[in-house]
Amino acid sequence: MKKWTWPVSLMKQTAFLFHLLFLCLFLTGITFIYFNENYGRGLSWVQEEAYSDTMSFTEQLEDDVEMIFKYVKYKDLLDLDGELNYDADMVCVTFLSGRSVIYTLNDMLRYAKTRGYYLTDTFDVAGGPAVPERETDDAARPTIEWKAYDPNEVYREPSDQYSTLEDLSLQVLTLLGEYYQIQYNYIDNPSNLYFRVSYMDEYGQELLYTNAGDRTNDELRSLGRYLYISGDTIVMNTNLKYIPRNITAELETYNLYDNNDYYIILGVDTAYPNTDPYSIAHSEYEKVRVDFITGIILTALGALGFLLTFFALVRLSGHSDSAAPGITRLKFDRVPFECGLALLFVFFWLGDYLTAQYLEPLSHLVVSEARWAYAARLIQTVVRYFIFLGLGFSLLRNYKAGTLWSGSLLYYTFHRFAGLLENCSFPMRLGLCFAGYLFGDGILLSAFLYLYQKREQSVVPYLYLLPGVIFFLFQVWTFLMLFRNEVETEKISQGIEQMSAGDTSYKIDTDGFSGKVGQMAESLNNLNSGLEAALQEKVKSERLKADLITNVSHDIKTPLTSIINYVDLLKREDIQDEKIQRYLEILDQKSQRLKTLTEDLVEASKASSGNLKLELANIDLVEMIYQANGEFEEKFQIRHLELVSDLPDDSVMISADGRRLWRVLENLYNNAFKYAMESSRIYVDVAVREDKGFFTIKNVSAKPLNISPDELTERFVRGDVARTTEGSGLGLSIAKDLTRLQGGSFDVYIDGDLFKAQVGFPVLKERDLGGKDLDDMGGDSLLEG
Amino acid sequence: MQTILVCDDDKQIVEAIDIYLTGEGFQVVKAYDGYEALELLESHSVDLMIVDVMMPGLDGIRTTLKVRETSSIPIIILSAKSEDNDKILGLNIGADDYIAKPFNPLELVARVKSHIRRYTQLGNLTQQTAENVFKCGGLLIHDDNKEVFVDGELIKLTPIEYNILLLLVKNAGKVFSIDEIYEQIWNEEAIGADNTVAVHIRHIREKIEINPREPRYLKVVWGIGYKIEKQ
Repeated sequence: MKKWTWPVSLMKQTAFLFHLLFLCLFLTGITFIYFNENYGRGLSWVQEEAYSDTMSFTEQLEDDVEMIFKYVKYKDLLDLDGELNYDADMVCVTFLSGRSVIYTLNDMLRYAKTRGYYLTDTFDVAGGPAVPERETDDAARPTIEWKAYDPNEVYREPSDQYSTLEDLSLQVLTLLGEYYQIQYNYIDNPSNLYFRVSYMDEYGQELLYTNAGDRTNDELRSLGRYLYISGDTIVMNTNLKYIPRNITAELETYNLYDNNDYYIILGVDTAYPNTDPYSIAHSEYEKVRVDFITGIILTALGALGFLLTFFALVRLSGHSDSAAPGITRLKFDRVPFECGLALLFVFFWLGDYLTAQYLEPLSHLVVSEARWAYAARLIQTVVRYFIFLGLGFSLLRNYKAGTLWSGSLLYYTFHRFAGLLENCSFPMRLGLCFAGYLFGDGILLSAFLYLYQKREQSVVPYLYLLPGVIFFLFQVWTFLMLFRNEVETEKISQGIEQMSAGDTSYKIDTDGFSGKVGQMAESLNNLNSGLEAALQEKVKSERLKADLITNVSHDIKTPLTSIINYVDLLKREDIQDEKIQRYLEILDQKSQRLKTLTEDLVEASKASSGNLKLELANIDLVEMIYQANGEFEEKFQIRHLELVSDLPDDSVMISADGRRLWRVLENLYNNAFKYAMESSRIYVDVAVREDKGFFTIKNVSAKPLNISPDELTERFVRGDVARTTEGSGLGLSIAKDLTRLQGGSFDVYIDGDLFKAQVGFPVLKERDLGGKDLDDMGGDSLLEG
Repeated sequence: MQTILVCDDDKQIVEAIDIYLTGEGFQVVKAYDGYEALELLESHSVDLMIVDVMMPGLDGIRTTLKVRETSSIPIIILSAKSEDNDKILGLNIGADDYIAKPFNPLELVARVKSHIRRYTQLGNLTQQTAENVFKCGGLLIHDDNKEVFVDGELIKLTPIEYNILLLLVKNAGKVFSIDEIYEQIWNEEAIGADNTVAVHIRHIREKIEINPREPRYLKVVWGIGYKIEKQ
């Protein structure tokens, strides 16, 4: 069963969808955190387990401590056995007329009412006079004699001593409101905060201010959070994390008695059974905490998914549903990447503009004013991200397709320029390059000088060094290019040398070559390989020719064998007829000649085509000539030829194939034997000149040698054009080819009737002779001779 | 009377060889390809075989290989191929001799005789294990009575030739330069040596070899010296 695979386009769409989803998640998380009250506090507060450990809890406590001590203060003033004491004296003023009046609580409240003030249901002062107070005579600004609710008031300025009745009544009303608030919040209604303040007056009477009823101090201590401070010690007894800063001061302030027998105990029930600011703040706190943690989790998840899907998109980018492998580029991707970068900035600007112009006002429809700035930033970031995504992926596709560089403007320009240079002639090219070099130098030097002069005004310190460094690098680069060019020229020069020396297999290593020089090297290589091919062809045809000759000679030899044998048999018959005997003699001679001819033919073709395996060894040329002389001395005597040899006493070591060299000498000796004038002398000598050992054989020809030396060593050429003598005409040709094959020189000189042949081999130096064993050379085969 | 098997696809050549060998007193059996030769070998008691290389059917090389599986009779290969490689191949697969066409009939006969002698007298020769007897293939030297035999035939040598041959046979396989031979034989320092040694060597070769141009025993190591091939 074939496994179903996802189409690439579907994968891409899914990945993109998830990418968006995770992006939203990430941004939501960020928003959650950003708008949390605890934004900017780091992460450590999250670990603070409870609201009661926070600073805001303590701040609330501080407010409450203030209220408690207000209560301490007002209770004595306003409270009379649990009822409001309307007859309590509040304030005493003296009018301009000198009349002093003491106003009671009741007086002040009533006055306030006449002015239109009242208390709201949360005991805040509200309302006010519909018309401004009439500035009536002495009632306007009476002098304050004393305030029962603020006995120790200090007047900083003389005017502070005066106040309108309205202001005073307002103060009293506010004071009453506060008293009601305390009464309502802490005493009449159940609260989570319990307090007990105790002072001891001079008569040993304990003054208690509390909302704890008959709960004992120990009970209060067990409520969750507590604070106990007594007058006889400075050490606090508490389990609070932060201590209200005002509590000790207030406690001491309200100790009106000259002793330390007082204490305060506060207890907060952290189960928050009653609804009050603590319970509300607690639930608020818990909610915010959950929100913050949610925000963090959302951010982390979003970021993770965002990155994963981003990489998935990066992987998938450029691939398509079509079966063809490789990267599919969109039309847009053909834009050079420099333009892409420029477009990116243009789009950024455009995106910012459009966002500011349209998207932000749109966002104001749904976002409260306090959050506009954040919304604007968010929208701008998202818009920029999408622009970046679009262009970034275009770059990515180009990168994957390998067209990032080759599709760029820079590349295009560079190549156009290089192409231009390549088509120029060499002098033109040099001219253009030099002009470019001067231009570059000029620009860089000017930039350097300009920036150096303006270095005081420059924002970036040492900016003027930048063109200086580039100038330096430019020089180095120029030198390297010149150097490379010279190296290439050197390589080509070496190549030409090798090629002209005949090494047709030589190839110039064109690695790293470029431009015109590269083309030149390439052409040279082609030239040489053409030559090589032609040479190979020639060698091959020579070999074929040699093979053909060998095969034909084999085919000739078989019938020739019969001819020779039967001629011999005939000769053995007792034939009396002289004519027949003469005929037989001719048959015998010619068949023998045919035999040598076929043998020499094979050898000549092999020698000239080089189709031979040489067995080179270090041999002594002098010893060799002695041996050859020994072989031929008696043969020469047949024709009364005298062998005169002049050989050095020391050996002359050369590197040659002994048997082939013997063939050369044999041919030369035979040549002398055949063509030398009878009863003449044959001179052989060995001499060393300029590190070469030369063997020379000289004889006087019996017949005139009206032929050039070069022609003599051609195949089938003999000194006597009439070809009356025996011999194949191949002897000298074979000798010459064999000598050349062994690395020697072979020359023939003719001076009148004097025939001279010279064979030369390089003499081996002492160091070349080591390591060769005589037996190795001697025991090579059974076929020497 | 020895029987010789001649095998060549060219009937005239076989005929000619037949005439020569019969004239020398041998009995000749004729075959015209390798298979025929193998059959004749089984039905006749053959003392020596002459075989051509290039034949239809079973060629000479394979025939030689077949024969060598069962028999050690002397085999002479007769071939139009005269290249070194061909000769080396023929000798390496078990042939005793290699003669290139066109051949000298006298040489062929001489070689046949030599091989027959060696093959039949081998027993006798090996029994003479006395001291001062030196043997190298078919070459035998009785130093006591200064006699040299090649394939059982007495050869006449001059004293110098004899001494040179003895020196080489005693040190079979070692190459002697002209100077070394001179110093050993004449017992004096070789200053300005001449062709003497080389000429003597040539004489010895002419006496002990069937074809001095292709010696079996006394070989020339060109440019270095001379040696007796170790056999």
